[in-house]
Amino acid sequence: MATDTAPTVLRRSREDDAVGRKRWATPLWNTVALLFALVMFFPIYWMVLTTVKTGKDLLSVDPTFWPTGISTASFQTVFDDPNFLTDMRNVAVITVGAVILGLAVGFLGAVSVARFRFTGRNFFIASMLVVQMVPLISLVIPMFFILKNIGLYDQAFGVILAYLVFTIPYVVWTLRSFIVNIPKELDEAALVDGCTRWGAFMRIILPLTVPGLITTGVFCWIQAWNEFVIANILLSSNNQQTAMVWLTGFSSSPTHGADYGSQMAGALMVSLPVIVLFVIFQRRVTSGLTAGAVKG
Amino acid sequence: MSVMESDPMPVAANGRPKAPKAARKGVRVRGSFVPYVLIAPAVVILLTVLAYPLVDLFVLAFQNVNDYLHLSAPDLVKFIGFDGFSKVLGSGDFWQSVQRTVLFTLEVVAASILISLLVALLLQRISKWAKVTVVTALMFVWAVPQIVTGTLFKWLFANTGGVVDYWFYLATGDQGWRTHDWFADPNQGLYIVVAIAVVWGALPFLVIGINAALTQVPKELVEASKLDGANGWESFRHVVLPVIKPFLVLGTALSFIWDFQVFGQIWALRDNAPEPGYRVLGVYLYQEGLGSSHYSTSAVVSILMILLMLAVLVFYIRQVIKMGDQD
Repeated sequence: MATDTAPTVLRRSREDDAVGRKRWATPLWNTVALLFALVMFFPIYWMVLTTVKTGKDLLSVDPTFWPTGISTASFQTVFDDPNFLTDMRNVAVITVGAVILGLAVGFLGAVSVARFRFTGRNFFIASMLVVQMVPLISLVIPMFFILKNIGLYDQAFGVILAYLVFTIPYVVWTLRSFIVNIPKELDEAALVDGCTRWGAFMRIILPLTVPGLITTGVFCWIQAWNEFVIANILLSSNNQQTAMVWLTGFSSSPTHGADYGSQMAGALMVSLPVIVLFVIFQRRVTSGLTAGAVKG
Repeated sequence: MSVMESDPMPVAANGRPKAPKAARKGVRVRGSFVPYVLIAPAVVILLTVLAYPLVDLFVLAFQNVNDYLHLSAPDLVKFIGFDGFSKVLGSGDFWQSVQRTVLFTLEVVAASILISLLVALLLQRISKWAKVTVVTALMFVWAVPQIVTGTLFKWLFANTGGVVDYWFYLATGDQGWRTHDWFADPNQGLYIVVAIAVVWGALPFLVIGINAALTQVPKELVEASKLDGANGWESFRHVVLPVIKPFLVLGTALSFIWDFQVFGQIWALRDNAPEPGYRVLGVYLYQEGLGSSHYSTSAVVSILMILLMLAVLVFYIRQVIKMGDQD
C-alpha cells in the first residue's frame, strides 16, 4: 500500500488531528471498515468453505458457517475430470505466450514514444488508448473467420495472437509513463561517458524499467488467464480449451450442475494461479495502477 | 482546478520527483528511422489482429452471412448494403438489449463509483491495521476471475442451499425465502444479482485507485482550507476533489467500458445459457452470432455497440490525450 507519511503538521488540539478529524471517532470508523472487509471477503470464505464441506454439510437444509468435518471429495471430483489438468496446462501456455510476446513488442513501442519525437507519434499513442476500448466480444466473429482461414482455429497459438490485441496496447500505454519518468539526463550522461545509444538503452533504460515490466507483466498475465470470450470461441476441442472455459462447462454440466462442492473446488483451482500472483505482487499491482492509471 | 492545470501530478507514482518538463521532451531525431523500427512490430501485429478483423467486421456487416451454409459456400455470399442495419435497427429485441445495457451500466457505474469513493474516504480515517485488513480483503476479491465470480454468486444466490436465501429467511422468519429463486425474474436476476456480482468485482480496483489518488492530496492544503473556515464538504469539494478528479474520470470511463460489455459474469451465473431477459448487448451479440450463426447480424450489432461506446467515450479520450500531451 502507498503509505507515504507526510511530515506531521502542527496539531490544533488534542482531539483533532491535522486535518480536523475527531480522534475519538477512529474506533467507530475502524468498525465500519472491518464490517466492509467482512462483507467483501465473505464470498471468498464461502467458496473455500464449500470446497471442504462434507456431503452431509453440503446437503443440510440450513447452511453451516463452519465445517463440521473436512472432506477432500470435491477436489477429488475436479482432479478426476479428464480435461481439468489439460486445460490448466493450455491456459498456462497461452498466458505465458501472450505475456512474453506482449511485453517484448510493447516495450519497444513504449521506448519509441517515450524517448523519441517523430511524425505519427501522437497518432500512435492515441490509437493505443482507443484500441483498448474496442469491446473484445465484437472482434470475436471476424477473428474466428480469420483463424479458420489461416488454419490457426482451435490452436493455442491463434489465441495467443488474439490476446496481443489487449496486451500490446496496454503495455505500450503503461510502460510509456514508466520510461518517461526516467530522467533524460541519465541517458545523456551515459552518452557523454562514451556509451553508444544501444549501450545507454541496455545500461540505463532497461534496468530502470524492470519494475514496470514486472507490473505490466502481472496485469497482462491476469487478463490473459481470466479471458473467457475469445478462448471460448476460438478453441473448440475439449483438450484445447482454457481453464475458464473448462469451469463454465464443468459447472453447467448435468453431472455437476447441482454439486456446488466440486464447482467451488474447480473455481478455486482455476483462480489459484492469479490469487498467488496477486499476493506476491500486491505492492506492484497497486503501484502499477497509480503509474498507469492516475497519470493518465 | 488551478492546482491541476499547473502540473497534473507533481510526483510520479513510484515516488521519484519528475524531471522538469523541458528536459523530458523526447529528442526529435529528424529523418531517423529508429523510432519507426521500434514501433514496427507493434504496428504490424495490431494491423493483423485488430485492424484487419475490424475491416472484416465492416465487410461482414454489409453481407448476408446469416447461416452456417454461407461459410462453406462463398458463392452464396452477397453484399446487401444497409439491409442488415435496417433489420437490426427495426428489431425490438435489439432495442430491448440496448435499454437493458444502458440501465445496467448506469446502475452499476454509479454504484461502483459512489461506494468506492465512500470506502476510500473511510480508509483515510482508520487505523493502519484496519486499513491493511481492508486492503488485503480487497486484493483477494480483485484476484477472482469474472467467470469464477459468476459461478460463486450463482451458489451464494442459489435457491436450494443458497446462503443469501438463508439470511433473508433468518431476518424475516418467512419460510418462503428458503427457496426464493433470484433468477426466475430476469429483472431481479440482472439488476440485483448480476449487478451485485459486478460491483463486488469492481470495487477493489476503484477503492485502491481512489485511495492512492487521495494520498496525493497535500495535507497542508486541507488544513489551510479548514483554517479559512471551510466545512468538511467544502474542503472536499474544493481541495480534495480536484486532485482525485483525474482518477475519478478514468475510473468512471473504465467502469463504463467494462459494464457496458458485461458478459462473463452473466454467462457463468446463467449456466452458459442466459434467458432472453438477461440479454444485454454482449450476450445478445454472442447468442445471435455464434448461437444462431447469424454472423452478419451480429457484426451489425458489434458495430453499433462500438459506436455507442465511442459516443460516450469521446469526451474521456480527448481529456486523456490532452493530459498525455503534457509529458
